[in-house]
Amino acid sequence: MVTTKSEIGWRLPAGQRLLFEDFDDGIVMFDALVGATHLLNASAAETLAIVEDAPGLATTDIHRRLLDRLSIPEAALPLSELEVLLWRLEDLNLVCAVAQ
Amino acid sequence: MRVGSLSRDDAQTRMAANGLALHIPPITVRVRSPLRFLAEQMRDLYCDYELADAGDFADVDIRMVRVRGIRNFPHTEVQFIVDGTTPFDPFPLAQALPMFEWGLNWVFAHRMHRYLLLHAAVVERGERALVLPAWPGSGKSTLAASLSCRGWRYLSDEFGIIALEGVNVVPFARPAALKNESIDVMREFAPDAFIGTLYPETRKGTVAHFRVPTQSILRGRAPARVAAIVFPQFNAGASVSLSALGKATAFLKLAGNAFNYEVVGERGFRAVSALVRKSDSYVLRYGDLASAHAALDDIVRRTHMQ
Repeated sequence: MVTTKSEIGWRLPAGQRLLFEDFDDGIVMFDALVGATHLLNASAAETLAIVEDAPGLATTDIHRRLLDRLSIPEAALPLSELEVLLWRLEDLNLVCAVAQ
Repeated sequence: MRVGSLSRDDAQTRMAANGLALHIPPITVRVRSPLRFLAEQMRDLYCDYELADAGDFADVDIRMVRVRGIRNFPHTEVQFIVDGTTPFDPFPLAQALPMFEWGLNWVFAHRMHRYLLLHAAVVERGERALVLPAWPGSGKSTLAASLSCRGWRYLSDEFGIIALEGVNVVPFARPAALKNESIDVMREFAPDAFIGTLYPETRKGTVAHFRVPTQSILRGRAPARVAAIVFPQFNAGASVSLSALGKATAFLKLAGNAFNYEVVGERGFRAVSALVRKSDSYVLRYGDLASAHAALDDIVRRTHMQ
Protein backbone atom coordinates (compact mmCIF):
# COMPACT_ATOMS: atom_id res chain seq x y z
CA MET A 1 0.00 0.00 0.00
CA VAL A 2 1.29 3.42 -0.92
CA THR A 3 0.94 6.17 1.69
CA THR A 4 0.36 9.61 0.23
CA LYS A 5 1.64 12.80 1.85
CA SER A 6 -1.82 13.77 3.04
CA GLU A 7 -2.13 10.50 4.95
CA ILE A 8 1.06 10.95 6.92
CA GLY A 9 0.84 11.57 10.64
CA TRP A 10 3.59 12.40 13.08
CA ARG A 11 4.63 11.28 16.51
CA LEU A 12 7.75 11.30 18.66
CA PRO A 13 9.99 8.21 18.55
CA ALA A 14 9.26 5.63 21.26
CA GLY A 15 10.86 6.65 24.55
CA GLN A 16 11.52 10.19 23.34
CA ARG A 17 11.37 13.07 25.81
CA LEU A 18 12.04 16.67 24.88
CA LEU A 19 13.04 19.46 27.26
CA PHE A 20 12.74 23.07 26.15
CA GLU A 21 14.33 26.27 27.45
CA ASP A 22 12.93 29.41 25.88
CA PHE A 23 15.36 32.35 25.79
CA ASP A 24 15.12 35.76 24.11
CA ASP A 25 17.56 34.78 21.35
CA GLY A 26 16.35 31.25 20.66
CA ILE A 27 14.92 28.04 22.07
CA VAL A 28 17.31 25.36 23.29
CA MET A 29 15.96 21.82 23.28
CA PHE A 30 17.38 18.69 24.84
CA ASP A 31 16.67 15.36 23.19
CA ALA A 32 16.69 13.07 26.22
CA LEU A 33 16.68 9.91 24.10
CA VAL A 34 20.18 10.46 22.72
CA GLY A 35 21.46 13.35 24.86
CA ALA A 36 21.68 15.87 22.00
CA THR A 37 21.03 19.61 22.31
CA HIS A 38 19.53 21.71 19.50
CA LEU A 39 18.95 25.41 18.94
CA LEU A 40 15.48 25.87 17.45
CA ASN A 41 13.39 28.71 16.09
CA ALA A 42 9.82 29.16 17.28
CA SER A 43 8.29 27.23 14.35
CA ALA A 44 10.37 24.12 14.99
CA ALA A 45 9.88 24.22 18.75
CA GLU A 46 6.10 24.69 18.47
CA THR A 47 5.86 21.93 15.88
CA LEU A 48 7.63 19.53 18.22
CA ALA A 49 5.42 20.59 21.12
CA ILE A 50 2.28 19.97 19.02
CA VAL A 51 3.50 16.52 17.93
CA GLU A 52 4.39 15.68 21.53
CA ASP A 53 0.96 16.82 22.81
CA ALA A 54 -1.04 15.03 20.10
CA PRO A 55 0.77 12.03 18.63
CA GLY A 56 -0.41 10.89 15.20
CA LEU A 57 -1.70 14.26 13.96
CA ALA A 58 -1.68 14.72 10.20
CA THR A 59 0.50 17.40 8.65
CA THR A 60 -2.48 19.58 7.80
CA ASP A 61 -3.74 19.44 11.40
CA ILE A 62 -0.31 20.30 12.74
CA HIS A 63 -0.20 23.19 10.28
CA ARG A 64 -3.53 24.57 11.49
CA ARG A 65 -2.50 24.35 15.14
CA LEU A 66 0.88 25.88 14.42
CA LEU A 67 -0.57 28.93 12.68
CA ASP A 68 -2.92 29.34 15.61
CA ARG A 69 -0.17 29.05 18.24
CA LEU A 70 2.17 31.43 16.44
CA SER A 71 -0.68 33.81 15.48
CA ILE A 72 0.54 34.09 11.91
CA PRO A 73 -1.25 33.90 8.55
CA GLU A 74 -0.82 30.93 6.26
CA ALA A 75 1.21 33.07 3.86
CA ALA A 76 3.88 33.42 6.54
CA LEU A 77 4.27 29.65 6.86
CA PRO A 78 2.77 27.67 3.97
CA LEU A 79 1.99 23.98 4.39
CA SER A 80 4.87 23.08 2.06
CA GLU A 81 7.36 24.74 4.44
CA LEU A 82 5.99 22.78 7.36
CA GLU A 83 6.38 19.55 5.39
CA VAL A 84 10.04 20.38 4.76
CA LEU A 85 10.48 21.21 8.45
CA LEU A 86 8.89 17.94 9.58
CA TRP A 87 11.13 15.88 7.33
CA ARG A 88 14.18 17.76 8.65
CA LEU A 89 13.06 16.95 12.18
CA GLU A 90 12.63 13.36 11.06
CA ASP A 91 16.23 13.36 9.77
CA LEU A 92 17.31 14.32 13.30
CA ASN A 93 15.20 11.47 14.69
CA LEU A 94 13.11 13.96 16.65
CA VAL A 95 9.81 12.86 15.01
CA CYS A 96 8.59 9.75 13.15
CA ALA A 97 6.23 9.60 10.19
CA VAL A 98 3.33 7.18 10.62
CA ALA A 99 0.69 6.03 8.15
CA GLN A 100 -2.81 7.26 9.05
CA MET B 1 49.21 19.64 59.00
CA ARG B 2 50.26 21.34 55.77
CA VAL B 3 52.72 20.20 53.15
CA GLY B 4 55.01 23.13 53.83
CA SER B 5 55.48 22.03 57.43
CA LEU B 6 57.39 18.97 56.20
CA SER B 7 61.13 19.30 55.80
CA ARG B 8 62.44 18.57 52.32
CA ASP B 9 63.76 15.23 53.56
CA ASP B 10 60.43 14.34 55.19
CA ALA B 11 58.53 15.18 52.01
CA GLN B 12 60.84 13.02 49.92
CA THR B 13 60.73 10.12 52.37
CA ARG B 14 56.94 10.20 52.65
CA MET B 15 56.42 10.44 48.93
CA ALA B 16 58.74 7.51 48.30
CA ALA B 17 57.10 5.34 50.99
CA ASN B 18 53.33 5.61 51.59
CA GLY B 19 52.92 8.68 49.45
CA LEU B 20 51.94 12.29 50.03
CA ALA B 21 48.16 12.44 50.41
CA LEU B 22 47.00 15.97 49.59
CA HIS B 23 43.58 17.46 50.24
CA ILE B 24 42.90 19.38 47.05
CA PRO B 25 39.20 20.01 47.53
CA PRO B 26 36.92 18.57 46.34
CA ILE B 27 39.20 15.50 46.18
CA THR B 28 42.11 13.87 47.97
CA VAL B 29 45.07 12.81 45.86
CA ARG B 30 47.80 10.42 46.95
CA VAL B 31 51.12 10.75 45.09
CA ARG B 32 53.83 8.15 45.40
CA SER B 33 57.21 8.52 43.79
CA PRO B 34 60.86 7.85 44.47
CA LEU B 35 61.79 10.98 42.47
CA ARG B 36 63.37 13.31 45.01
CA PHE B 37 63.26 16.36 42.73
CA LEU B 38 59.53 15.84 42.20
CA ALA B 39 58.91 15.76 45.96
CA GLU B 40 60.82 19.00 46.30
CA GLN B 41 58.94 20.73 43.45
CA MET B 42 55.59 19.57 44.82
CA ARG B 43 56.48 20.74 48.30
CA ASP B 44 57.19 24.20 46.88
CA LEU B 45 53.99 24.42 44.83
CA TYR B 46 51.61 22.72 47.27
CA CYS B 47 53.08 24.04 50.53
CA ASP B 48 49.75 25.49 51.80
CA TYR B 49 47.64 22.38 51.16
CA GLU B 50 46.49 20.13 53.99
CA LEU B 51 47.97 16.67 54.27
CA ALA B 52 45.66 13.73 54.74
CA ASP B 53 46.70 10.87 56.97
CA ALA B 54 48.43 8.01 55.21
CA GLY B 55 45.48 5.69 55.86
CA ASP B 56 42.79 8.13 54.70
CA PHE B 57 40.77 7.38 51.60
CA ALA B 58 42.21 8.99 48.50
CA ASP B 59 39.96 9.59 45.48
CA VAL B 60 42.95 9.27 43.19
CA ASP B 61 46.17 7.30 43.67
CA ILE B 62 49.00 8.38 41.40
CA ARG B 63 52.48 6.94 41.04
CA MET B 64 55.25 8.69 39.13
CA VAL B 65 58.05 6.26 38.34
CA ARG B 66 61.16 6.17 36.18
CA VAL B 67 61.01 3.99 33.09
CA ARG B 68 63.49 3.21 30.36
CA GLY B 69 63.39 5.47 27.31
CA ILE B 70 62.35 4.27 23.89
CA ARG B 71 65.97 3.62 22.88
CA ASN B 72 66.68 1.78 26.09
CA PHE B 73 68.67 4.59 27.62
CA PRO B 74 68.34 3.78 31.29
CA HIS B 75 66.04 5.85 33.50
CA THR B 76 65.34 8.71 31.13
CA GLU B 77 61.56 8.94 31.26
CA VAL B 78 58.74 9.11 33.76
CA GLN B 79 55.49 7.16 33.73
CA PHE B 80 52.18 8.41 35.15
CA ILE B 81 50.29 5.53 36.79
CA VAL B 82 46.80 6.15 38.11
CA ASP B 83 45.12 3.45 40.16
CA GLY B 84 47.40 0.93 38.47
CA THR B 85 46.76 2.01 34.88
CA THR B 86 49.02 3.94 32.48
CA PRO B 87 46.86 6.16 30.28
CA PHE B 88 49.77 8.06 28.66
CA ASP B 89 53.10 7.44 27.00
CA PRO B 90 56.02 8.35 29.29
CA PHE B 91 57.38 11.92 29.39
CA PRO B 92 61.01 13.02 29.70
CA LEU B 93 62.04 12.55 33.32
CA ALA B 94 62.57 16.26 33.94
CA GLN B 95 58.91 16.91 33.02
CA ALA B 96 57.54 14.80 35.89
CA LEU B 97 55.71 17.70 37.51
CA PRO B 98 53.96 18.94 34.33
CA MET B 99 53.01 15.34 33.65
CA PHE B 100 51.54 14.99 37.13
CA GLU B 101 49.52 18.19 36.67
CA TRP B 102 48.21 17.29 33.21
CA GLY B 103 47.57 13.72 34.30
CA LEU B 104 45.54 14.85 37.28
CA ASN B 105 43.49 17.14 35.00
CA TRP B 106 42.80 14.17 32.76
CA VAL B 107 41.75 11.97 35.67
CA PHE B 108 39.48 14.66 37.06
CA ALA B 109 37.81 15.30 33.70
CA HIS B 110 37.18 11.58 33.20
CA ARG B 111 35.86 10.75 36.66
CA MET B 112 34.13 13.63 38.39
CA HIS B 113 30.76 13.26 36.75
CA ARG B 114 28.87 14.24 39.86
CA TYR B 115 29.58 17.77 38.59
CA LEU B 116 29.23 19.57 35.30
CA LEU B 117 32.85 20.24 34.34
CA LEU B 118 33.45 23.37 32.30
CA HIS B 119 36.83 24.07 30.75
CA ALA B 120 37.13 27.34 32.59
CA ALA B 121 39.03 29.44 35.05
CA VAL B 122 37.04 30.71 38.04
CA VAL B 123 37.70 33.73 40.24
CA GLU B 124 35.66 35.53 42.86
CA ARG B 125 35.50 38.99 44.36
CA GLY B 126 32.97 40.27 46.88
CA GLU B 127 31.03 36.99 46.98
CA ARG B 128 30.59 37.17 43.20
CA ALA B 129 32.22 34.42 41.15
CA LEU B 130 33.07 34.87 37.50
CA VAL B 131 33.36 31.76 35.34
CA LEU B 132 35.82 32.27 32.46
CA PRO B 133 35.27 29.43 29.98
CA ALA B 134 37.83 29.10 27.19
CA TRP B 135 39.89 26.61 25.29
CA PRO B 136 43.70 26.54 25.57
CA GLY B 137 45.52 29.62 24.29
CA SER B 138 42.89 32.15 25.26
CA GLY B 139 44.84 33.32 28.30
CA LYS B 140 42.48 32.13 31.02
CA SER B 141 45.23 30.74 33.28
CA THR B 142 47.24 33.95 33.10
CA LEU B 143 44.13 36.02 33.67
CA ALA B 144 43.08 33.98 36.73
CA ALA B 145 46.59 34.00 38.20
CA SER B 146 46.98 37.74 37.70
CA LEU B 147 43.57 38.47 39.26
CA SER B 148 44.52 36.42 42.31
CA CYS B 149 47.48 38.76 42.78
CA ARG B 150 45.08 41.73 42.92
CA GLY B 151 42.73 40.59 45.66
CA TRP B 152 40.52 38.14 43.79
CA ARG B 153 39.98 34.67 45.15
CA TYR B 154 41.34 31.99 42.82
CA LEU B 155 39.12 28.91 42.47
CA SER B 156 40.64 27.29 39.37
CA ASP B 157 42.54 27.94 36.16
CA GLU B 158 41.20 24.85 34.38
CA PHE B 159 37.88 23.54 35.76
CA GLY B 160 34.63 25.39 36.28
CA ILE B 161 33.05 22.79 38.52
CA ILE B 162 29.31 23.37 38.58
CA ALA B 163 27.15 21.61 41.15
CA LEU B 164 24.43 19.72 39.29
CA GLU B 165 21.83 20.99 41.72
CA GLY B 166 21.92 24.76 42.07
CA VAL B 167 24.32 27.16 40.40
CA ASN B 168 27.26 27.12 42.78
CA VAL B 169 30.78 26.67 41.54
CA VAL B 170 33.13 24.43 43.51
CA PRO B 171 36.83 25.33 43.85
CA PHE B 172 39.59 23.10 42.57
CA ALA B 173 42.43 25.46 43.34
CA ARG B 174 45.62 24.03 41.88
CA PRO B 175 48.75 25.62 40.45
CA ALA B 176 48.13 27.51 37.20
CA ALA B 177 50.12 26.18 34.26
CA LEU B 178 51.64 29.27 32.62
CA LYS B 179 52.92 28.77 29.11
CA ASN B 180 55.53 30.50 26.97
CA GLU B 181 55.19 34.32 26.91
CA SER B 182 52.72 34.34 29.79
CA ILE B 183 55.46 33.25 32.20
CA ASP B 184 57.36 36.51 31.74
CA VAL B 185 54.10 38.46 31.64
CA MET B 186 53.23 37.13 35.11
CA ARG B 187 56.74 37.67 36.45
CA GLU B 188 56.55 41.29 35.43
CA PHE B 189 52.95 41.72 36.59
CA ALA B 190 53.47 40.13 40.01
CA PRO B 191 57.19 39.99 40.90
CA ASP B 192 56.40 38.57 44.37
CA ALA B 193 54.34 35.66 43.08
CA PHE B 194 55.92 32.23 43.32
CA ILE B 195 56.45 30.70 39.90
CA GLY B 196 58.17 27.33 39.96
CA THR B 197 60.68 25.57 37.74
CA LEU B 198 60.74 26.30 34.00
CA TYR B 199 60.08 23.24 31.85
CA PRO B 200 61.22 23.93 28.27
CA GLU B 201 60.23 21.86 25.26
CA THR B 202 57.11 20.25 26.67
CA ARG B 203 54.25 19.35 24.35
CA LYS B 204 52.82 22.80 25.07
CA GLY B 205 56.11 24.71 24.82
CA THR B 206 57.78 26.13 27.91
CA VAL B 207 55.69 25.68 31.05
CA ALA B 208 55.99 26.97 34.62
CA HIS B 209 53.50 26.74 37.48
CA PHE B 210 52.07 29.63 39.47
CA ARG B 211 51.53 28.85 43.15
CA VAL B 212 47.99 29.55 44.34
CA PRO B 213 47.88 32.38 46.91
CA THR B 214 47.47 31.13 50.49
CA GLN B 215 44.15 32.90 51.10
CA SER B 216 42.55 31.10 48.15
CA ILE B 217 43.74 27.71 49.42
CA LEU B 218 42.44 28.41 52.92
CA ARG B 219 38.97 28.95 51.37
CA GLY B 220 39.37 25.91 49.16
CA ARG B 221 36.31 24.11 50.53
CA ALA B 222 33.89 27.03 50.14
CA PRO B 223 31.71 27.03 47.01
CA ALA B 224 30.90 30.34 45.36
CA ARG B 225 27.83 31.81 43.72
CA VAL B 226 28.19 32.41 40.00
CA ALA B 227 27.44 36.02 39.11
CA ALA B 228 28.55 36.13 35.48
CA ILE B 229 30.04 34.06 32.69
CA VAL B 230 32.79 35.74 30.70
CA PHE B 231 34.38 34.13 27.63
CA PRO B 232 37.90 35.63 27.45
CA GLN B 233 39.73 36.09 24.15
CA PHE B 234 43.30 37.37 24.33
CA ASN B 235 44.86 39.11 21.34
CA ALA B 236 48.17 40.82 22.03
CA GLY B 237 47.84 44.57 21.68
CA ALA B 238 44.09 44.53 21.04
CA SER B 239 41.93 47.13 22.74
CA VAL B 240 39.50 45.89 25.34
CA SER B 241 35.86 45.24 24.47
CA LEU B 242 33.03 43.60 26.33
CA SER B 243 29.99 42.27 24.43
CA ALA B 244 26.85 40.90 26.06
CA LEU B 245 25.75 37.47 24.88
CA GLY B 246 22.20 36.21 24.48
CA LYS B 247 21.27 33.37 26.82
CA ALA B 248 20.67 30.77 24.12
CA THR B 249 24.02 31.64 22.56
CA ALA B 250 25.72 31.47 25.95
CA PHE B 251 24.02 28.12 26.59
CA LEU B 252 25.43 26.58 23.42
CA LYS B 253 28.91 28.00 24.03
CA LEU B 254 28.92 26.63 27.60
CA ALA B 255 27.59 23.21 26.64
CA GLY B 256 30.18 22.98 23.87
CA ASN B 257 32.92 24.00 26.29
CA ALA B 258 32.12 21.40 28.96
CA PHE B 259 34.25 18.28 29.36
CA ASN B 260 31.31 16.06 30.28
CA TYR B 261 28.06 17.68 29.09
CA GLU B 262 27.09 14.56 27.12
CA VAL B 263 28.03 12.29 30.01
CA VAL B 264 25.84 13.94 32.63
CA GLY B 265 22.93 14.18 30.18
CA GLU B 266 19.71 15.80 31.33
CA ARG B 267 21.26 17.00 34.60
CA GLY B 268 23.86 18.87 32.56
CA PHE B 269 21.15 20.49 30.42
CA ARG B 270 19.34 21.64 33.54
CA ALA B 271 22.57 22.89 35.15
CA VAL B 272 23.54 24.95 32.10
CA SER B 273 19.99 26.31 31.87
CA ALA B 274 20.06 27.41 35.50
CA LEU B 275 23.49 28.92 35.07
CA VAL B 276 22.65 31.08 32.07
CA ARG B 277 19.26 32.10 33.44
CA LYS B 278 20.78 33.41 36.67
CA SER B 279 23.95 34.93 35.20
CA ASP B 280 24.75 37.51 32.55
CA SER B 281 27.17 36.34 29.88
CA TYR B 282 29.81 38.28 27.98
CA VAL B 283 32.66 37.94 25.54
CA LEU B 284 35.74 39.83 26.74
CA ARG B 285 38.36 40.68 24.11
CA TYR B 286 41.55 42.10 25.57
CA GLY B 287 45.17 42.73 24.79
CA ASP B 288 46.64 43.37 28.23
CA LEU B 289 45.94 42.34 31.80
CA ALA B 290 45.22 45.79 33.23
CA SER B 291 42.35 46.49 30.84
CA ALA B 292 40.92 42.99 31.34
CA HIS B 293 41.01 43.50 35.12
CA ALA B 294 39.17 46.82 34.80
CA ALA B 295 36.45 45.19 32.67
CA LEU B 296 35.99 42.29 35.11
CA ASP B 297 35.92 44.67 38.10
CA ASP B 298 33.17 46.56 36.29
CA ILE B 299 31.12 43.37 35.78
CA VAL B 300 31.33 42.58 39.49
CA ARG B 301 30.26 46.15 40.35
CA ARG B 302 27.24 45.78 38.05
CA THR B 303 26.17 42.53 39.68
CA HIS B 304 26.30 44.21 43.08
CA MET B 305 23.90 46.88 41.83
CA GLN B 306 21.37 44.37 40.44
